[in-house]
Amino acid sequence: MHTCPPPKNEFKKRFAEYPDVKGNFGHTLLEQTKADDGSLAEALKGYFESAHLDARDKFHADIGIDLHPDAVGDEPVVAYPVSLPRTTRRGLFGEVMAGLLTETYKYVGKHDWSVPIFLFRHHEDAFQYLFSLARNPERTRQTIGRLGSDFIGLALDEDLNVTRIISGEAKWRQTLTEGVVETLMLGDWVAKDKSKKKSKENRERSGKGVWYFVNNEPKVPSGARQLQRLLQEHDPDGHDATILSLQSILVAKNPVPIPKTDLVVVVGNGGKTREERECLLPFKKAPAEYTAGNDLQIVEVIMASGEELIDTIYASLWKEDANA
Amino acid sequence: MQMPELDSERREIIDELRRQIASENELTANQARAFVRGLQTGWNVPTIQWSISASREQYDDARRLLNAASIFQSLDGRGSPEARFCYQRSAELLEWLSRAKDKIESPVSLELLAAAAYQLGGSPAMATTLLVQAESKSRGEGLYADFLRANFDGVLRSVSDFWLDNPEISNRDAQRQILEDDGEDKVSWFLTVELVRVLGLLADTIRRGEVDRFELAKRKLSALDDLATRTFSDEVSLLITLLHQVSIDFGEASIYVPIRQLSALKPERASRLERFARGQFSRGRGILWTSQRQGLARLLEEESFALCTPTGSGKTLVANLALVKELLLKGDDDGPLALYLVPSRALASEVETKLSSELANDVIVTGLYGGTDWGVTDYWLDADEPTVLVATVEKADALMRYLGPLLLRRIKLLIVDEAHQVVPEDNERTQDDFAEHSSRSLRLEAFVSRLLSQAPDTIRIALTAVAGGAAHPVARWIQGHDDAVPVGSNYRSTRQLVGSFETAPDRAGQMLLEILNGKPLFVRGRDEPVYINLRTPPMPQLPAAMRNSIYRFNQLDVLWTSLHLASSGRRILISIAQQPERTMGWYKDALSLNTWSDAPFFEPPEEENELRSFNDARAACVDYCGENSYEVALLDHGIATNHGQMPQRIRRMMVDLIDRGICPVTVATATLTEGVNLPFDIIFVPSLMRRSFNAAEEQQVENRMSTAEFRNLAGRAGRPGAGKGLEGITLVPIPVRPSTTAQGGLRTQRRQIATMQEHWKTLRQSLLAEELERFDIDSPLALLLNGIAQRARELLNVAGEEFLGWLEAVVPPDISDLAGRASEDEMARLADSVDELDGVLLTALEELQRIDDTGLEGVLAEEALAAIWNKTFTVYAAAQEEWMEAAFIHRGQALLRDIYSERDERGRLYQYGFTPYVGRRFEAVVPDMLKVLSDTTSYGDADDATRLSVFANLGKLLADDRGFGFRVRSTATDQAILANWQGVLGWWMRAAEFEPPDPKDLRVWQRFVSDNLDFRLGVGLGAVVAKSWSDGVEGALVIPSLEAWRETTKLPWFGFWARELLRWGTLEPFVAFSLAEGLVGTRSQGMELKQEFSVWLEEQKTEVDAEDRIDPQLFLEWRRSRAEGPEARVRKRTINVKLDNTAGERGQYSVIPIVYDNVIHWFDAAGFSLAQSNAENFPFQGLVHRDDFQLRTDRDRPTVRRTYSGSS
Repeated sequence: MHTCPPPKNEFKKRFAEYPDVKGNFGHTLLEQTKADDGSLAEALKGYFESAHLDARDKFHADIGIDLHPDAVGDEPVVAYPVSLPRTTRRGLFGEVMAGLLTETYKYVGKHDWSVPIFLFRHHEDAFQYLFSLARNPERTRQTIGRLGSDFIGLALDEDLNVTRIISGEAKWRQTLTEGVVETLMLGDWVAKDKSKKKSKENRERSGKGVWYFVNNEPKVPSGARQLQRLLQEHDPDGHDATILSLQSILVAKNPVPIPKTDLVVVVGNGGKTREERECLLPFKKAPAEYTAGNDLQIVEVIMASGEELIDTIYASLWKEDANA
Repeated sequence: MQMPELDSERREIIDELRRQIASENELTANQARAFVRGLQTGWNVPTIQWSISASREQYDDARRLLNAASIFQSLDGRGSPEARFCYQRSAELLEWLSRAKDKIESPVSLELLAAAAYQLGGSPAMATTLLVQAESKSRGEGLYADFLRANFDGVLRSVSDFWLDNPEISNRDAQRQILEDDGEDKVSWFLTVELVRVLGLLADTIRRGEVDRFELAKRKLSALDDLATRTFSDEVSLLITLLHQVSIDFGEASIYVPIRQLSALKPERASRLERFARGQFSRGRGILWTSQRQGLARLLEEESFALCTPTGSGKTLVANLALVKELLLKGDDDGPLALYLVPSRALASEVETKLSSELANDVIVTGLYGGTDWGVTDYWLDADEPTVLVATVEKADALMRYLGPLLLRRIKLLIVDEAHQVVPEDNERTQDDFAEHSSRSLRLEAFVSRLLSQAPDTIRIALTAVAGGAAHPVARWIQGHDDAVPVGSNYRSTRQLVGSFETAPDRAGQMLLEILNGKPLFVRGRDEPVYINLRTPPMPQLPAAMRNSIYRFNQLDVLWTSLHLASSGRRILISIAQQPERTMGWYKDALSLNTWSDAPFFEPPEEENELRSFNDARAACVDYCGENSYEVALLDHGIATNHGQMPQRIRRMMVDLIDRGICPVTVATATLTEGVNLPFDIIFVPSLMRRSFNAAEEQQVENRMSTAEFRNLAGRAGRPGAGKGLEGITLVPIPVRPSTTAQGGLRTQRRQIATMQEHWKTLRQSLLAEELERFDIDSPLALLLNGIAQRARELLNVAGEEFLGWLEAVVPPDISDLAGRASEDEMARLADSVDELDGVLLTALEELQRIDDTGLEGVLAEEALAAIWNKTFTVYAAAQEEWMEAAFIHRGQALLRDIYSERDERGRLYQYGFTPYVGRRFEAVVPDMLKVLSDTTSYGDADDATRLSVFANLGKLLADDRGFGFRVRSTATDQAILANWQGVLGWWMRAAEFEPPDPKDLRVWQRFVSDNLDFRLGVGLGAVVAKSWSDGVEGALVIPSLEAWRETTKLPWFGFWARELLRWGTLEPFVAFSLAEGLVGTRSQGMELKQEFSVWLEEQKTEVDAEDRIDPQLFLEWRRSRAEGPEARVRKRTINVKLDNTAGERGQYSVIPIVYDNVIHWFDAAGFSLAQSNAENFPFQGLVHRDDFQLRTDRDRPTVRRTYSGSS
């Protein structure tokens, strides 16, 4: 289970918060006031370890089982998250950030969100490999679709029944510019007239961006099944009511509806020309591209030297002497 | 662990879902529509109205059910039946969506999800069928599909290909290396490789039955599943979860589990049993179906039982293991014997073939289905080896009369296949069968009851296909106690659809599907039927002569449709109720119409073996049926034919052509499908009625096909595991309007159509009604006794107590002068029914006396009779009455005391095998027959005419007596044939200058041959020869042998051959021998081969006499001399290897070969290279992924040995 509370104060100290709420739309801009001197990374270490613990255990358990016929018993292994590739680590960072922000800040509707356990779906190319059974990084990058939402959190009542679900997309991009964010939200440029080459004149957005996936999320959030399973695995008695709530929406034809909040988190460094309090996503009202009709919360996080922070955090996880 | 508090709420949610969308055998309106839509897409016809949101709903429901299933399992355990229903329905919904080629966006194909759910829902055959049909879009999908359909050979082939492409990651550190290396995609690649390793190891360990490494692989997959749940998208992780769950099921359902429990009975046989289990994996049957697991569980815990599961649920395997258990694993007696009773000769050969292929190394499997009572192939008689006799009940009965004590001494196990056939139908035909001594159900009841009272320790296993009401009484009977229940499940390996087929003169036919798995199939609202309009071109208008008969039109439309459906890969049976020759003639004529030249054309098979089989069958048809016969003409169009009167040899060849799919269309009577599993997608049943002529009342009698028969037939539809086989469809074709254009004929045709519709309606109603309720079961003896009582009351006005008195005293000739002559006169029928009862009694009493040579007077007789009665099916069936037992016992006592009071006579009558009164009359001709046999000393040298005259002389002794001699129906055609019986004999025996019948008369001639020459004359001859043997050994039990035969019987070799010659239709014993031994395919080839024998014979002997030319001992000697060829090359099984990536500390490793760079790399199935050897001179060729290899490092030098060959 993810049990570590978010280091709210440490975080709030370092980020300026600009919230906007209009009806069922909320936008929060967070600006890191200065590059991290190492203290934020340290403050976040516990939270990140807690968020990654379950996945780490399972990863190690799997690798530890040696199928070689000469193997004698399982071997202890340390590989996670140190051996994860850079991009993966950045993706994971985005997800944990989404959880951290959700547990730290008040969003539209003022619900108390919690993330009982983190799901990490960041091996999308695995899908490609599992079916092609061949390693081909080039091709994989080109053809990969986008699978599943990145983040799921819950609002629970005092009996731990689920009263609301928050799920959505958490995206890390090194530098956030208008163009980068547009691509993120609306998809890549593709040729308008498919018979001709893509050019400035002949192009349009593919439409397969964050908005598309948020809008097309199935009625049952796609992480619900997995979350339910993990809760059952880790805390069947304590979270029995939560499990039941999730099972009800997974099974019943007409379940008692659980309202939903859609979340879009974009994290990255600001562009060179960015001005203070400048937003790249709409903050007055929900954009026309969003059609799902739930509560919508957008969080823009502008970091200062975010990459270094990520590297520092990940280098420190499960290390006693991270600062030494 | 504390039970979570909310389980009752949880259960409410899943129960509710189950009620809403997963009721057993009941579809919601939308599910039915989804099913029909899938069906329509498959048939390429326009589909019903449907929207993408409806697809989405079905998909969501399927996912809900998967979730519900796992909740059921967490509450009730893995075996939760509720969970199975959820999986099953989920699988169906996914299957129907996939068949409708839906555009549901699912990263994992619907087929894979459906197949996994079918496996978990306990329908592995559906999983296989679905996946065979689906094309894998990627290598990964192919791998998972192979795994999900338990095609472990296929998994290993895919996995081998993977390692061929990725040899660099086959060292021990490869996995760690991948993670330590660079590459943004390394985790994904790592997980992919992990999954390939696991599936390879699972497949290899499952089929080898290696428990430890299997458990390791399962643990690994469980870990991967955990990981996938956290790191992959919903559907991809779901796929891995399902693979994991299925692997657990595979472990539990592996045949190794029961096999090892069986092995515990006799550990020294364990390795043989392991090989048997491994062999089942090669045949794709290593993972047991639910029905098989139930049956085997019962086999392990109990001795006798009845297994009642639908057709195609794998009963044969249970029977096989029962044989293994009783013959190989228990006791140390020499030559234990099992008797495997089958309902038809066709089934006997099927069962014999199947058993031989699996057990022939350990036991003698021999089929007795016709032929002599004892022949050249009966070496099993004095063998010490375990033996399985496969026989029809008639044959077993004959054998018992001849060699009873020998059989009884050795018998350990009785298997009764299709045991529900002991239940007769309560109708006039059955009563006639009793009087004519031809009731199969009575013979079965009597035989088994006798066997049980004489060898009560025999283990009994009954296999029944139709659940109906027979299962429970059969179970009680077989187990011999009142609270026995059958092992049963409703497992169906295919879905079954039943409906009608509308034929019309000017358009393609349409299917109207009405029943799905025994329940009404409706789509919209309550009673909208499901139509599928076929896209076949309409049949060209028929000439007036053809269309003026509505029946002819109907059957031709069916043929036209079948030919078109066959061309799209479907296999079709047109099942004819009677007069197959009429249909065959109609078909031949239609196929030669100019307008039919556009009909799909049949090409003989290209594959060499198939072509040979086809040509052999055609040659045999030409030989036995004639060049111009319907059989040959239809075969040339790819249409196989089959009916009960066909010579056995042709029937077997036809069955082979059907079984292997060489002939896509089959026209046959019900005899084809009695218990025989053949691959048909669609069965057409053009007529539900059988007409017969009742001579006594001089009128046509019509009997509707019983629901049991129809259901049995429909149960044969569907081909589990085959391309088009997701549904078996049975259709009753009915014209929608008259086919004639002549005004005068319209009214008649309309009336005929209305009648056909009426028949179908009645049948459909009773099909649906009977699935719901049980009904009272009749038994043969009860019906016989009832029939006698009823006739006595009606004809003689004797009833109640008076009837019992009458029955104690009456003898058949007192009732009617026509007794014992198979007369259709009512009084004669009564007399013959009494004689039938006497037959049952006398046989039972005589056998008792033979075992235990004490007298059977007074009380002893009463006790013995009561004991026999208590073993009858009648006692365990519902419909018996108290007076019956009294009647049975009193009549039995009267038999001993007054009617057949002489012990010697009873012995002779018993031996003849007729009912006693018929036997008495037969006895009068025995000396004459004996004389003919004894006098035929120079048969070996005689010319055809002389030889034929011997048979004619024998025939004359029987021709005029309907009781024990030739018997035909009283129709004009049959009477004409009887008048010309010598002509038929000459043709059949292939004597020169005898005219063959006109093709349209062929079948009635064949019937005469099979009923009268093969059967009745054969039975008479058999009785005489058997008597000669018994007389020769003075009643002692001596096992017949060729050496002693002539001396003992005092008969020339002709006596040995006479029946065999009648059976094969030849005057030449050598031809019969070479056909029986499979040396030749036709009689002409047999004659040609005879030259070779003659030359050999001249070389052997200076003086060859007539008897030498037909001496079976010399035939066998010649055959042996011929077989002595060069010794078969023994393949090297072991090769030396060099170790690689291992020090060999384990001693023994299971390995698979992967060849690249001209080196064989011996891999562990988890993808680790362990050893290498030179690829040149590799002794193991072909499909090596089907073989098992073992690397040994605990010897002087490392070697690899092939431990199992699945490729040869």
